[in-house]
Amino acid sequence: MTDSLILGLSSGSACLATCGMVMFPYLMAGSAGVKRIAIDLSLFMLTRFVIYFIMATLAWYFGQALFSNPVVRNIVPGILYIVFAVLLVWYSIDKNRKKDCPAKIIKTVNNHRLVPILLGIVNSLGFCPALFIILTKSATQGTLIQSYIAFLAFFIGSSVWFLPLPLAGKMRKKEVLQNIGILATGLAGIIFMIKGITNLIGGIING
Amino acid sequence: MDKVLESAGMKKSFGRSLLYTLPMFLITFMFMTGGKPNFSDPASALAMMTAFLLVNVLYFFMHYTGKTDRYRAVLFIIFALSLSYTLIHNMLEVRKSMSFSQADILECKIPFCHLVIPMMILPAAFTKSIIFPGSIIGGFANISSMVLLWLVATVVLGRGFCSWGCFYGGWDDGFSRIRKKPVIKKISELWRWMPFAVLIMVALTSALALMPTYCSWICPFKAVTEFEQVTSVESATKAGIFLSLFGGLVIALPVMTRKRTQCSFLCPMGAVNTLSNKITPFTLKIDKQACTECLKCVEVCPLYALTPEDVKAGKVSLFCSRCGKCVDACSKRAIHYGIRGIPAGTMKNFSRNLFLFVSFLFMAIFSAGSIISTFQGLFKFIF
Repeated sequence: MTDSLILGLSSGSACLATCGMVMFPYLMAGSAGVKRIAIDLSLFMLTRFVIYFIMATLAWYFGQALFSNPVVRNIVPGILYIVFAVLLVWYSIDKNRKKDCPAKIIKTVNNHRLVPILLGIVNSLGFCPALFIILTKSATQGTLIQSYIAFLAFFIGSSVWFLPLPLAGKMRKKEVLQNIGILATGLAGIIFMIKGITNLIGGIING
Repeated sequence: MDKVLESAGMKKSFGRSLLYTLPMFLITFMFMTGGKPNFSDPASALAMMTAFLLVNVLYFFMHYTGKTDRYRAVLFIIFALSLSYTLIHNMLEVRKSMSFSQADILECKIPFCHLVIPMMILPAAFTKSIIFPGSIIGGFANISSMVLLWLVATVVLGRGFCSWGCFYGGWDDGFSRIRKKPVIKKISELWRWMPFAVLIMVALTSALALMPTYCSWICPFKAVTEFEQVTSVESATKAGIFLSLFGGLVIALPVMTRKRTQCSFLCPMGAVNTLSNKITPFTLKIDKQACTECLKCVEVCPLYALTPEDVKAGKVSLFCSRCGKCVDACSKRAIHYGIRGIPAGTMKNFSRNLFLFVSFLFMAIFSAGSIISTFQGLFKFIF
């Protein structure tokens, strides 16, 4: 569960680092007022929760089919952790990250009511390295409930970054939140790189 | 420079400096001896007297010379070294090893330090349990006394705790003073926010795992205190991380940058203390009329708390730990200790005297036990 929470934290911060400038105007209380933004944010979070629930179910069923061999189940996650962790670190140092934001499509939507829902869909389906890791983890869980718990922790971790947004609109220096997000992403990447290497060495030593 | 210090009232005459040292002299004497000096054990008596003299001589020179950081750093570094010595000595005596076993965890024998505090808050609030395997009351380095000390110090000193109370800060402070000129001069300001990222990560993961994840996986000071027995790939990885971070952030980078890089870029407690700077009565102020914007203060600040923009705006950022290095470096005394609510440029001398008394007294009392114990060990070894 701790792993999933760290992944969630890194995912949320990566989103903030990549799409902060696109999402801020929609999910921050500037002139719009805290109450309206709180409602929009709730819709955004609910959408993400539903999509993660569906992904947890699908990942677990696919995992049962793909990782049935115990050797594959021990070694593959270690390798995937390392690969995605490297990508996560790259995410945090990539200066062009803002160009890659999948949420920029929102700028073309005129209906304001749909914006938080669409933003939730784009955000949860924006395949970032952290999401790949949690999908891998979810797919290798023993039971479907464990897969749900992993995704729930992932959801909680990623939500931490979005909850202060209604208040962040009042902040004079919005880039502070974004800076912390970028650094947390890199940190999570390093944590998972170490975890992946440890898993892999442990897996090889233990046969 | 001396004339500037004298005119500002920072540099005092011999007699006046003695007078300012008198309250410190009496309080530290009462604290170290309990009012009844005991000379039955010569080594202990000598250790106590040496520590007592050291503290008071340093405080006297702060007033006599008008310099702050130079004398603060001496006690701060001695504090860090002596604490590590005391801790290691105690562990070797109690469990014959610097590493701890699962049995030590189960028996709650792990010494507590303030770095655990940010990780304890969420689990304590939600589960009403303390996630650290240490003694709550009584015993060496117990939880309640450390939390209380930190709480009082943080409310009064804010991030000043990082330069006047933290028994780890002296390590990178010491290494940052080895070279006269830095090899690495420019580091992005972005990194100042890293402790906040670490804080968020460790606070939440500790709440979920119900264990102090910073201590288990990241803390560089495990290298000079206690650590987990290496019995598996995981514990070997942890030992590798502790040693690499200690070597990199506490030794190599401070030497190359002349900055306290562990405190600036990693410590989650630094992030908490930075936030507490909002409530502390003491602060550092820039007198815009006296400031020539030479930016010497930016150059010497060990915690990246000052930027050229801050100086131009006449503000000191929340990252400041009131170490006094910038105050000592400013030839115009434009940057000075102040009290919240009192305008910059006024009551410079009063603010400095008050801050020095409170902060130095805290450091003197907090460090006394470990310094005396270290001197005791040293004298027993020599004689």
